[in-house]
Amino acid sequence: MKGVVCLVGKFEGERSVSRILTTCIYCGCGCGLYLDADQGRIIGSYPSGNHPVSRGALCVKGWNSYEFVNKLDRLTKPLIRRNGRLEESGWEEALDLVSRRLLEIGDRTGPDSLAFLSSAKTTNEENYLMMKLARAVFRANNIDHCARLCHASTVVGLKAAFGSGAMTNSIEEFEDADCFLVTGSDTTAQHPLIGSRIINAVRDRSAALIVADPRNIELVKYADIHLRQKNGTDVAWINGMMNVIIEEGLHASRYIEERTEGFAKLREVVKDYTPGYVEVITGIPAYLLVASARIYARSEKAMIIYSMGITQHVTGVDNVKSLANLAMLTGHVGFRSTGVNPLRGQNNVQGACDMGALPKVFTGYQSVGDKEVREKFEAVWGVKDLPAVPGLTVTEIFDRARKGDVRGLYIIGENPALSDPDSNRVRVALQQLDFLVVQDIFLSETAEYADVVLPAAGFAEKDGTFTNTERRVQRIRKAIDPPGEARADWEIISGVAERCGYKGMRYSSPSEIMDEIAELTPIYGGMRYDRLEPFGLQWPCPSRDHPGTPYLHKGTFARGKGQFMPAVYIAPDELPDQEYSFLLSTGRVYWHWHTGTMTRRTSTLDREVPEAYVELHPRDAERMQVIGGEEVRVSSRRGNIEIRVKITEKVKEGSVFIPFHFKEAAANILTNPAVDPTAKIPEYKVCAVKIEKMIKCGKVV
Amino acid sequence: MREGCVVEVGFSEPVARYLCPVTVAAVADRGRQGWVHRSTIDDINMNNRILLKRNINELLARSAEAREVYLPLEGPGGDVQFLPLQEPKELDNLNLNYDQLIIPPKNIGFPQLESLFEFKDGEINPTVPVPSRHILFGLRACDLKGILFVDDFFRKNFEDIYYRHRTEGRLTVVVGCTSPSPNCFCTSTSTGPFIEDGFDLQLVDLGERYLVEVGSENGERFIGEFEELFLDASKDEIHHSGEVKVTAAKAVTLKVDFKEAIRRLTEDDVPREIYEEIAERCIYCGGCLYVCPTCTCFNLFDDMKEGEGARFRNWDGCVFEGYTREASGYNPRRDKCSRAARRYEHKLKYDYQETGISGCVGCGRCLTSCPVNIGISNFIEQLTGLDSKQ
Repeated sequence: MKGVVCLVGKFEGERSVSRILTTCIYCGCGCGLYLDADQGRIIGSYPSGNHPVSRGALCVKGWNSYEFVNKLDRLTKPLIRRNGRLEESGWEEALDLVSRRLLEIGDRTGPDSLAFLSSAKTTNEENYLMMKLARAVFRANNIDHCARLCHASTVVGLKAAFGSGAMTNSIEEFEDADCFLVTGSDTTAQHPLIGSRIINAVRDRSAALIVADPRNIELVKYADIHLRQKNGTDVAWINGMMNVIIEEGLHASRYIEERTEGFAKLREVVKDYTPGYVEVITGIPAYLLVASARIYARSEKAMIIYSMGITQHVTGVDNVKSLANLAMLTGHVGFRSTGVNPLRGQNNVQGACDMGALPKVFTGYQSVGDKEVREKFEAVWGVKDLPAVPGLTVTEIFDRARKGDVRGLYIIGENPALSDPDSNRVRVALQQLDFLVVQDIFLSETAEYADVVLPAAGFAEKDGTFTNTERRVQRIRKAIDPPGEARADWEIISGVAERCGYKGMRYSSPSEIMDEIAELTPIYGGMRYDRLEPFGLQWPCPSRDHPGTPYLHKGTFARGKGQFMPAVYIAPDELPDQEYSFLLSTGRVYWHWHTGTMTRRTSTLDREVPEAYVELHPRDAERMQVIGGEEVRVSSRRGNIEIRVKITEKVKEGSVFIPFHFKEAAANILTNPAVDPTAKIPEYKVCAVKIEKMIKCGKVV
Repeated sequence: MREGCVVEVGFSEPVARYLCPVTVAAVADRGRQGWVHRSTIDDINMNNRILLKRNINELLARSAEAREVYLPLEGPGGDVQFLPLQEPKELDNLNLNYDQLIIPPKNIGFPQLESLFEFKDGEINPTVPVPSRHILFGLRACDLKGILFVDDFFRKNFEDIYYRHRTEGRLTVVVGCTSPSPNCFCTSTSTGPFIEDGFDLQLVDLGERYLVEVGSENGERFIGEFEELFLDASKDEIHHSGEVKVTAAKAVTLKVDFKEAIRRLTEDDVPREIYEEIAERCIYCGGCLYVCPTCTCFNLFDDMKEGEGARFRNWDGCVFEGYTREASGYNPRRDKCSRAARRYEHKLKYDYQETGISGCVGCGRCLTSCPVNIGISNFIEQLTGLDSKQ
């Protein structure tokens, strides 16, 4: 097997160390790393020296990715709820129960009363199978995953503007871009191997850096300009930059004429967004906006980098479209080191989207509404009448579950009880379900509500592929066996399908699944395991001899002409008022990952940040007479948590920030479930909270 | 307990006892076994031999019949890894002209994660590895220097039985470096590209053949086992090897004023701005210490379920805030700047004061593995390029 060096000790030590090349489980950078295994245990993780992303380096999470794999509290046996308690069972019984109950619910209340949440942490092959299970076996388009909560706005917005919803450039192209506009991305914390490239570009070759972020993130230290907008005013400042660019004649007239459409309308809309007007809305001084517009427009190789700070708003799609407008206006897309780069968060969130774990599309963004597409899938899958109406999104699934419309839910590798907004309501929804299946590597907060828990193999225990943020499809490889009776997700899903009487899901290996994906998916047409050695291929890769695509929209946009889609500024759904006077935004920290399932089981990482905190500006702290480390009660209209204060100028006066990793003080109890009308992404980045002291005169209140 | 104790690894035995009671107890049980890991040229009769390159594969394949043979093997994508030979076919991937291994071979004796003991119902069972005979073939001089340094740490003032069992059956074969990476500066630290002592065998590339320098009785015995594969070296060949060493040294183009750096550090003459700049730029990945051939810090943690579990140790390091945080929450190195300083002080001051040897072997890995290009060579350049305060 390529990529695997197997070393079985022949001598008295009985040492059997193996080192395999695989892909990191954490962020979308997709670093190439080696895992060392010894007697069924992962004992180390090291970077690949020649991998185009890692290049001999990793972030602290990658370096420590060996530890959580072998934890003793891994799920090792299927669990079935009996008399209110989860009890161990055999696979036969568990799979029989899952298939029988899901079929029953589908028969009784219709396929739309079933829903499926796939996972951006599992492989492409597994996402494909989950999508196939939902559609081919249960005839439900109610399949979605956490991309809904991170980059749904990107998939919708960039697809409409450019014809493709992915990062336009490659990570190594950051090394010769000469201007970075970073907004809503704490890049050094969330995509360290991309953030570091920005730092190097600024420090070592004087590239320009404009950071537009309400928080004082690490990259601000390196920025030429920090635009510190009020949360949720992004459309306004982006329109303002375009206003300046057009007023000063810095737009790329020829590019606009040849490669885009809709410019007249854009000019009309942004005319009102003068720097003075924008200052009123956003708080960004007019002169800084003007300077930023000039720097960005005049740079030759300019990149926009953005992430959740742009997408997680009720205007998420408008924000994304506005950034696309800005890039097209200046001719900054379609070239090497020049483009619009949404950084995808999860290791395989790009792949989970590519695989059609979304309610509106099959693999490769082929619409479920398209009859020809359906017929193609029907032929290969050996089924008839695939559903043509788009299904429910993550946020809608929980709404419908609460109302009793969705009755059966099958979740793989997601933890909505902690990760979804207004999580108290999510928990109610989970309780309302007639039948909940959770498939994971640990007993998550969500799994505690399950009727059946299925133990899955982790990333070190199976073969497959992940697609990183730069569209690079690359291998993961099995280093050790899964613990106990845990099985790879693809095997489990196939097992469920089989028991439902579906014969079209028998595979001997993930490689065989990829062959089927390639057959059905034009952008993955040339992806075969033998071609993914050693460091993968970037889609679009339509044929077996295609070398892959480092950057998109070369010469022409994927949709033909780039479409300007101007937006007007709309305020966030819930802003501070007298009672709830602070603005809360949520996010992650460098040391942890999402709901902490892996990083809180990793000694070095958990030691660094062992508990939750709320970031509070020193002036607010002084006014409220709270000190650093003091526990306060933070409440929104949806719930409250008790949490320690961290006093820092990272947040603006009147704003607070809470990382959402910690179940003990779960930020998502507070967040607002209001969603963007098209992408249905919730507004994690803005809601109103109040902060109350818990200790007054030595008494707990 | 999810989190292990926050430890600061020192040099003294009392500290070691405190850290690893089981280790020390186990050592006491078995008694201290004498183990000379260093032999110098003075100890033995220097005896140069010749190994034809076409005989290398046979030598390695036959050696592997009775030992584990670790070699630099080129894997997918051109990464060279130091791994034990499993089957002779893998010798096709042997690459003795590599510029640098990503990870120094310290992990053979000191893995990133290892189990120390298992416990169940109050009973404790040490998980001491069984000793193994092995050859480290194709080491670079700097990496052997690193290994010898780590040997001292784990065996000089106290004996760590885990480390001893993983390393005591070791034979070291250095292949002197003629293909340095651009980040290497071993000529400045006097740690390469060839090593003067501490090796069992050292090979000098003479084109079609290697001159084999014998550095220990162990090395001599090994040659004796495969006598027919070695020839006697002529005076010309010995002379040629000297020229090769000179040329190899010239190939190391990165030079730093190492002595001056040590002087400045030991005299506490480092402008704070240098540390401040490093602390600001650092993204706290820990890469520099994980890849450092002489970093030996570890943390301890327990993994436990229903009263049953194991205690582990894993690589740790001084750039992390939690590393020096005390149980009270107080941290003597709380700010990033003093943590950045700590790393350089450790390598260029404390190690030097403690052992007379600096903890830097000039391999340049801390630069190679740094996502933001910090590296000790840049630090030294910056420091020695600045005027001393005196």
